[in-house]
Amino acid sequence: MNDVNKYLTVTALTKYIKFKMDNDEHLKLVFLKGEISNFKMHTTGHLYFSIKDETSKINAIMFSSNAKKLNFNPVDGMKILIVGRVSVYESTGNYQIYVDEMMEDGIGNLYLEFEKLKKKLELEGLFDKDKKKKIPKIPEKIGIITASTGAAIKDIISTIKRRYPICKTYLFPSLVQGENAADDLVEKINISQNYDLDVLIIGRGGGSIEDLWPFNEEKVARAIFASKIPTISAVGHEIDFTIADFVADLRAPTPTGAAEMAVPNITDIMKHINNLNIRINESINTKLNYEKLKLDTLKNSFIIKNPMLIYENKKQKIDLLYENLNKSIFINLSTKKLEIDNLKNNYIIKNPNILYENKKVKLLNLIQKLELVNPLSILKKGYTLTYKNDKLVKSINDISKNEIIKIKLHDGFITSKVIDKE
Amino acid sequence: MKTEKKFEEKMEELETIVNELENGNIDLDDSINKYTKAMKLIKECDEKLKNIEEQVNKIVLENGEIKDFEIEE
Repeated sequence: MNDVNKYLTVTALTKYIKFKMDNDEHLKLVFLKGEISNFKMHTTGHLYFSIKDETSKINAIMFSSNAKKLNFNPVDGMKILIVGRVSVYESTGNYQIYVDEMMEDGIGNLYLEFEKLKKKLELEGLFDKDKKKKIPKIPEKIGIITASTGAAIKDIISTIKRRYPICKTYLFPSLVQGENAADDLVEKINISQNYDLDVLIIGRGGGSIEDLWPFNEEKVARAIFASKIPTISAVGHEIDFTIADFVADLRAPTPTGAAEMAVPNITDIMKHINNLNIRINESINTKLNYEKLKLDTLKNSFIIKNPMLIYENKKQKIDLLYENLNKSIFINLSTKKLEIDNLKNNYIIKNPNILYENKKVKLLNLIQKLELVNPLSILKKGYTLTYKNDKLVKSINDISKNEIIKIKLHDGFITSKVIDKE
Repeated sequence: MKTEKKFEEKMEELETIVNELENGNIDLDDSINKYTKAMKLIKECDEKLKNIEEQVNKIVLENGEIKDFEIEE
């Protein structure tokens, strides 16, 4: 049973697989498209990388002899078209594609351009959240920039009319694919700024990446960014992302979606208004009831019910004040009376002659002092003064014999004649 | 031409008033004034919505001319 000869060596199996592959007509010459990943260039000049799509991956090798002929630098993410053959590398048992020729895939190229522009505008801040304008909840005038024919405009207008029929729409017909589309879109975005619009829908229906390309152009992105009207982008299908989607204030998955985002449902608004109406009536009723209750409480308050109390309180207070007033007047009068009595009993008032007596003594003293210095008082002691012709005689030489002289005594004059002098 | 307040602004004003009244921190006179104002707003908004005369779609042509625009079914 266990015949050892039945068992293959690994090498034998691998050689067999390789032989099968090398002789398969479909694997001898393969045309393959995909995206480069894990790209490495060996020092020998050989290129090692993988080629992948959304679900599968295959290892690839390109020998330096073929790699030398490339007119571009392969990088990760690049979409490429290659020609080669599939075979097995025996040492590892891996199958791989041996690339003879490789060229850029036009679409892959666009993808790179897209990534480059996206990064650039992102760094410039064109996608910043805080630069996004608010989309009005209930717009009245909507501008639409898309082709005047086709599914997109039909979807947008019919959705708007179904949800919010009172909204006005303005279509700015534009090319949406081809060489001139970007310029046309920019022009229409600029024109639309003058129509007092509340919101601007910019988009088109689905298509190939080349079809959608105008919405990836820098000038379109800048025009959308510069728009003073809030913008909603609606390009292609849900899975399609364009630069316009990143720069617009709001991205809609489809044109229909854009219309749904742009306008509310009229029945919702009606319901909302109804609801507000109910709420406001409820709250005003609550308020009125509350105020009425407050008023009732006041009406039933003790003081309102017994208004005489207010009067009585006041009356009592007045009585008290009157009493206090009387008391204080009496106290005041008594104090004054006491003061007057005190004054009446004052020593000076009682003995006014003291003032007089004092003055009299002082005067007599003065008179005595004056007497002491009066020159005439000496005459009282018997001294006399002699005058000649009313002049005082001070020397014997002033008079001669037989001259008339007057002698003054303290109480009169003697007129004499000089009989002799010595 | 007097520019009427936009519908959305009216709705916002209405919501603000309802919220204020529901909070109940305003005096009675103010409440009644606000209530009157709200009733006016509700009437205006309602009329606007019920005015179902459908708006015709317009197309702005290259020369700036504005025409009615019908979708081809």
